[in-house]
Amino acid sequence: MSNQRKRLNGEREEDDEEDAEGIGEWERAYVDDRSWEALQEDESGLLRPIDNSAIYHAQYRRRLRILSAAAAGTRIQKGLIRYLYIVIDFSRAAAETDFRPSRMAIMAKHVEAFIREFFDQNPLSQIGLVSIKNGVAHTLTDLGGSPESHIQALMGKLEALGDSSLQNALELVHEHLNQVPSYGHREVLILYSALCTCDPGDIMETIQKCKKSKLRCSVIGLSAEMFICKHLCQETGGLYSVAVDEVHLKDLLLEHAPPPPAIAEFAVANLIKMGFPQRAAEGSMAICSCHKDVKIGAGYTCPRCKARVCELPTECTICGLTLVSSPHLARSYHHLFPIAPFDEVPTLSSLNDSRRKLGKCCFGCQQSLLGAGNKQGACVTCRNCKHYFCLDCDIYIHESLHNCPGCESIRRPKSVSLMEE
Amino acid sequence: MIFKIEDVTVYFPYENIYPEQYEYMVELKRSLDAKGHCLLEMPTGTGKTIALLSLITSYRLSRPDSPIKLVYCTRTVHEMEKTLAELKLLHEYQVRHLGSQAKILAIGLSSRKNLCVNPKVLAAENRDSVDAACRKRTASWVRALSAENPNVELCDYFENYEKAAENALLPPGVYTLEDLRTFGKNRGWCPYFLARHMVQFANVIVYSYQYLLDPKVAGIISKELQKETVVVFDEAHNIDNVCIEALSVSVRRVTLEGANRNLNKIRQEIDRFKATDAGRLRAEYNRLVEGLALRGDLSGTDQWLANPALPHDILKEAVPGNIRRAEHFVHVLRRLLQYLGGRLDTDNVEKESPVSFVSSLNSQAGIEQKTLKFCYDRLQSLMLTLEITDTDDFLPIQTVCDFATLVGTYARGFSIIIEPYDERMPHIPDPILQLSCHDASLAIKPVFDRFQSVVITSGTLSPIDLYPRLLSFNPVVSRSFKMSMTRDCICPMVLTRGSDQLPVSTKFDMRSDPGVVRNYGKFLVEMVSIVPDGVVCFFVSYSYMDGIIATWNETGILKEIMQQKLVFIETQDVVETTLALDNYRRACDCGRGAVFFSVAR
Repeated sequence: MSNQRKRLNGEREEDDEEDAEGIGEWERAYVDDRSWEALQEDESGLLRPIDNSAIYHAQYRRRLRILSAAAAGTRIQKGLIRYLYIVIDFSRAAAETDFRPSRMAIMAKHVEAFIREFFDQNPLSQIGLVSIKNGVAHTLTDLGGSPESHIQALMGKLEALGDSSLQNALELVHEHLNQVPSYGHREVLILYSALCTCDPGDIMETIQKCKKSKLRCSVIGLSAEMFICKHLCQETGGLYSVAVDEVHLKDLLLEHAPPPPAIAEFAVANLIKMGFPQRAAEGSMAICSCHKDVKIGAGYTCPRCKARVCELPTECTICGLTLVSSPHLARSYHHLFPIAPFDEVPTLSSLNDSRRKLGKCCFGCQQSLLGAGNKQGACVTCRNCKHYFCLDCDIYIHESLHNCPGCESIRRPKSVSLMEE
Repeated sequence: MIFKIEDVTVYFPYENIYPEQYEYMVELKRSLDAKGHCLLEMPTGTGKTIALLSLITSYRLSRPDSPIKLVYCTRTVHEMEKTLAELKLLHEYQVRHLGSQAKILAIGLSSRKNLCVNPKVLAAENRDSVDAACRKRTASWVRALSAENPNVELCDYFENYEKAAENALLPPGVYTLEDLRTFGKNRGWCPYFLARHMVQFANVIVYSYQYLLDPKVAGIISKELQKETVVVFDEAHNIDNVCIEALSVSVRRVTLEGANRNLNKIRQEIDRFKATDAGRLRAEYNRLVEGLALRGDLSGTDQWLANPALPHDILKEAVPGNIRRAEHFVHVLRRLLQYLGGRLDTDNVEKESPVSFVSSLNSQAGIEQKTLKFCYDRLQSLMLTLEITDTDDFLPIQTVCDFATLVGTYARGFSIIIEPYDERMPHIPDPILQLSCHDASLAIKPVFDRFQSVVITSGTLSPIDLYPRLLSFNPVVSRSFKMSMTRDCICPMVLTRGSDQLPVSTKFDMRSDPGVVRNYGKFLVEMVSIVPDGVVCFFVSYSYMDGIIATWNETGILKEIMQQKLVFIETQDVVETTLALDNYRRACDCGRGAVFFSVAR
């Protein structure tokens, strides 16, 4: 687990040391934006604008390098079909106001963002929600693939009362996840705000049960580090982290969106039956199987039982076949074959470089690479296609696009493109 | 690492050394050169033990023509084991670098209970019964008897050890108590007597304070140590207490009753001997007349305990005439017991100096001071003559004789205090007569005089200039070292004010102030609601803890604490406390969270 804060703005360190106790909640929101304190003067006494983006970019590249160093060129097997239960603790500790306006509200807001991001990155997976209230665990929603229903159920009742019980939550989740097919990866993400757990039985036994059923439990704590959470995550192979403020909580949550590496002996290769439905013709009428209502037009037809479904990806309610479309699979693909980080081009190598192909524009956005005073600004280059990209395009390519435009635009005669490796 | 301090090459078995360890070694080396005593204070956890051991052994290696012995005194058996473990590491390191000339013999010495390997003897329940069971099998008269009567039980290990005589030697190496037991079992020799014998040959001896400070034990174990010895007292901040306790005796009603029983038994034995073997008693009488010293002609294994007075205070005269005959001695003891019983029957607290006590004893019971001085020796001789082996039964009479000897020998530095009630139970009459020593320097003076260098070291010796005055010696080096803070350590925070800005303290006069109690309670509630898993709360004393918890209960603070975490309290009962501690750990491990209230002793 890591409690390290990512310093997006290097000046933040000094602020924290000075105002260790005095920094109030309201001030923290402006810590990032205290640009007036970060102004510098150049030689002639004029103000120099701060180049935040370079710092941000260096930050980002460092993180990427760590991630890919961990991968180290080897192909890591990841679980693409994930069945994730999010357990949110709504005990009385969730009503604390150390996160504005309350821990509950912040958790709900970020879980909503997380759910959307999760389905973005893992279209084949499903989420379920569980809440802990008054020492009892309740299922808010069952495992399903539609983000809207989860978010609605979550925002429905936000109230905090009673004790929290980790064991009850684990038992409930275990019961649900045991019914999941074996090719799916079973995961639990617990957002724990209480400081203790009042359990009816021996929680160690429950942890062993979860470990045996291959449940990967991760915990994000909001108050302090607890031994039992650490133990749970160590036993089941999950991640334990404790959020220190709102931004950190968001980062920690979003870390769980990309699929985690699969444990070798649990990830057995299976053949999974999936259907690729056709879009129904405009104007065709059918009874939609999810709403049980007559719908006209837009919809998909299950290839096996010909029932109508409204959106993809989903499980056909009539015959149980997983229905996906090819872009969904493509989106999952890039987790298995991540794009290699680009190399930094040293800024001192000026345009005297023999490779005239350098050009003066970024290949991605066609904006000029030259910075102030005709000197070459910071840029990066792709190893394979040798094109140059500006920093913003670099971030966009690695975070959202997952494909290098330079490599894609090289014409290949019919062979399978190995560029993505 | 190997480095030089002036002319001594020091072999230090670790890669890194703290700066304070280095300074410590330099000061220690200087005091060894000066052949004087020193006082060194260095915080706990900075590696004092290994610094001491490595410097002294390296010092010895660098001066091979005048070898010094190291006597390392620790407070508990556990500390002894730790020291020997460190020494083993050091020894391996030195042998690796220097070869076989660095080999030493190091032993740990403890009571029979920790070293015996005879299962029948070990089955006895406490230390004194183990001693008695051992004596029953190893006393010289028992062994003589077994030559005629094969039914008499002997200890095989002791017999094998005696047979081996001069060949009973330990090969060089470092022996912990466990190692000694294993060695003894393998060879079939008694580890306890072997270790006692090896004290003269060993280079390093590790034992407890009592073996040097308490005259009763030191007279047997440590009398043959040579002058060129470095004595180290580790964790010596309470050494003045140990010295005082070594020379203090207390007598209760129960002691007097036991002593009476012992006297009856002795009387029976005397009568029996008179009937069967009167020659033995007469031989003893003759010996006493000739003033033969009661020590010296006894074999070392027969001597059970030595004289409680300090060696140079023991009169080297003949035992006075009025107690030479056994029956007369028993009569004298009975009169003494009667007098003591009479003194215990008082309603007020009385305090007296030994001189007035002795004079009133003389006027009322007719016992002179010189008679008192020889009580101990006479009892010792009598018990040997009567061949009594159940020494654990005869402890009460031995206590009374200790008392008599000490009160007769010392006039200054002691007082006699008689209290009718025990302080813990003020309503039940349980009178106690205490001979308390006030002067800590009495017991330790022979150690300072006899040995070349005495090192007194601890983590907390402040105020350090108090010790030379308390123990009445002149150190050549007296220094305090600070810990360097470059490593991860626990940093304490001292709270002087509560959250309502009232000053808080656990000073005696502020303890019952309701504001202070409330502030501490609120502080604990806040801590408990923020800190995950376990919180341990140490109090100054049991009575304070009981009082403050009762007040917290009344004001509802305890209830608030219990809402967040479970509460466990230490009591004076060992079983309850162990159970509470175990449950506290389980509560912390399973996530429930707990608070443990305990007393810091």
